[in-house]
Amino acid sequence: MPDEEVLEEGVLNPVKPEIQDPLLRALLADEPAAATPVAADTPLEQPQAIAPETDEVDCVVIGLGAGGAPLLARLAMAGLKVVALEAGPWHNPEKDFATDEKAQDFLFWNDERLAAGHDPLAMGKNNSGTGVGGSTLHYTAYTPRPLPDDLLIRRDFGKGEDWPVSYQELEPYYEEIEQFLGISGPTPYPWGPARRKGYPLAPLPLNSAAQLMVRGAEKVGIRTSPAANAALSARYYQEGIGWREACTNRGFCQAGCSNGAKASMDVTFIPLAVKHGADIRPNSFVTEIERDARGYITGMVYTQNGEQKRQRCRHLFLCGGSVETPRLLLLNELALTSGQVGRNLMAHPGLQVWGTFADEVRPNKGIPGGLISQDTHRPKDADFAGGYLLQSIGVMPVTFAGQVARGRKLWGQPLRDYMRQYNHIAGINILGDCLPHADNFMELADEKDARGLPKPRLHFTAQENEQRMNAHAEKTMRAIWEAAGATDIWAFQRYAHVIGTARMGLSGDDAVVDANGRAFDVPNLYISDNSTFPSALSVNPALTIMALSLRTADKFLEQQQRRDG
Amino acid sequence: MPVPEYPSGTVRALLCTSHISEATRAALQARLDAPAAYVPQLLAPEAYALLEAVAARLFPQPDRADAPIPLAPAVDQRLAEGRADGWRYDALPPDREAYRLGLGGIQEIAQALFQADFIALDARQQDAVLQALADGRPPGATWATLDAGRFFEELLAELTETYYAHPLAQEEIGYVGMADLPAWTKIGLNEKEDREVVMGE
Repeated sequence: MPDEEVLEEGVLNPVKPEIQDPLLRALLADEPAAATPVAADTPLEQPQAIAPETDEVDCVVIGLGAGGAPLLARLAMAGLKVVALEAGPWHNPEKDFATDEKAQDFLFWNDERLAAGHDPLAMGKNNSGTGVGGSTLHYTAYTPRPLPDDLLIRRDFGKGEDWPVSYQELEPYYEEIEQFLGISGPTPYPWGPARRKGYPLAPLPLNSAAQLMVRGAEKVGIRTSPAANAALSARYYQEGIGWREACTNRGFCQAGCSNGAKASMDVTFIPLAVKHGADIRPNSFVTEIERDARGYITGMVYTQNGEQKRQRCRHLFLCGGSVETPRLLLLNELALTSGQVGRNLMAHPGLQVWGTFADEVRPNKGIPGGLISQDTHRPKDADFAGGYLLQSIGVMPVTFAGQVARGRKLWGQPLRDYMRQYNHIAGINILGDCLPHADNFMELADEKDARGLPKPRLHFTAQENEQRMNAHAEKTMRAIWEAAGATDIWAFQRYAHVIGTARMGLSGDDAVVDANGRAFDVPNLYISDNSTFPSALSVNPALTIMALSLRTADKFLEQQQRRDG
Repeated sequence: MPVPEYPSGTVRALLCTSHISEATRAALQARLDAPAAYVPQLLAPEAYALLEAVAARLFPQPDRADAPIPLAPAVDQRLAEGRADGWRYDALPPDREAYRLGLGGIQEIAQALFQADFIALDARQQDAVLQALADGRPPGATWATLDAGRFFEELLAELTETYYAHPLAQEEIGYVGMADLPAWTKIGLNEKEDREVVMGE
């Protein structure tokens, strides 16, 4: 997609600091301000006549995060008539986003989910998103590629599931997305196969936590590298979008980027989709998916700003994430014959290790995940399947304080005393693979939420493999932090990203969608989000969600061409 | 290591500068300006008074005896508006019920340990009640059905996040991350901008 000459010209051209694309300028300047959140406590009204929407569109996309936005742009660019229904509002980050964690709570899916099992999954700010851009509005922007064997865990360990898509098939999409988003990272990348193209921008500067991890890892013999992050280390131009400004090291990625430096979907794929005619409808919560006698989807009913509406379509792309996607399938009794909807729920072990340093750290500054090591991808002394990556982490004060309260059980004066060391605290964490297990699944509870719909209940219990991985990782990270000079080291048990609740596979007997994201049961239904991942991977999911999204769009368009041609 | 001291007034001083965006200033100023008096909207007066007393031990503020950072109003307001933070331990009942039951359960612990209401106890006794709760196996019929450990964790986390969102608490820990305009350029170890607080002064 990117024209390299334009790219070069753009990066080197220091003259025009404004966003050049008039559409993006308009978007950022005024239009999104119209979005006001829907009152969350409006119960479903009594059945009433819904005005028939006669206009059938080619495609409806439900959800505008990393799964929905890339394919929306691709379908719009192919000339299809596309409508996107996003449950949350359309923000104007420059004006609306505060550098304040509590004030940014609106970025999270705050309808209550129930967390069950021995290791209940924290949702809300830990694990969900809403708004035009979805969870990418608050992802950390950490975008490593998986390593090829991540997709073949069953082949290598006899556990988990292999992907029906190979790394080689995904590679061109990784490359395209890295160039399009303007990912800042090291070239060459120290782990995995050689790459045809390096990252388009140099790595972001290392913050204190990253520098400390370099110090400690060197001493214990672990290689590190500046990480790949989807935030700009320099101004960046993309045709169809315009200029995006460089990262200002706010360190608030997880509470929303206010200057467009972070490649969330609202400043990348969505403006591109809009430029090519996509119709974006914020505050649109889908309640019902309609089918004809053959079982084909014909449209859906949604609530926008308190009003019930209907949209007819020829194809549906469901991109609501690993909780809302299976919830919609279960509520509508859609694509259920495999019995796998809601099953195979996985979550990445995200164990954190914190320490206090004599140096001044000020952990709120800089890209939070500045450094990476994938030396622990397949540890030689592992007593578990798979592996993990190591990452330095910055942290915002309220998030950190909440974790201290939950994880360290400090309260009263000791809590206040410990928090006074905030400017001397630094952390590292892992992102590890997870195996599916029969005990880990999502179901609909009897309890209803404010919309009158059954609450999702997520069962998660870390099994032996995750426990062994955590133990190995804690030992490794403690060694790094001790070598770096940390005192008062403690570990915080944590799991992030819900994955796998509508998995892809080779057959409708044990999978919901095929390798292209198409539902085995419903020919005009596609799913694109991390619910389709057959295994969790030992890297953050966003980049792979986007890669699968573009691939699904391409496979769909190929098939349409074949049918038309 | 010794607990560092931070100069007071830093966040409040920075609020008046161009280092802070309008949206950020609005959020922080609203917390500074919140009226001291608060009439509970959801909790009964006795339950609210108990919550205040519990909060005063979980976050003792002898340094702000006249005007402590208010913590209980945020809980009552949230419960009254029916807001959630996106999830709940399945082991706990819905938030309003959990708070009602849990506060009643704290009274039961106080009665079991000291034969008196929580509010009537001295600070040391109140801390003993809360420690029994934190340890997860307190006395009292309530705790046969309400998970004490999870209830305490949720209560403490909510009060903690409310406390450290307040500009005065952020001054206390030397945090000035809200003053992020136009950019942070000094982000490495032992590096700071002029507007960042110097510690230990």
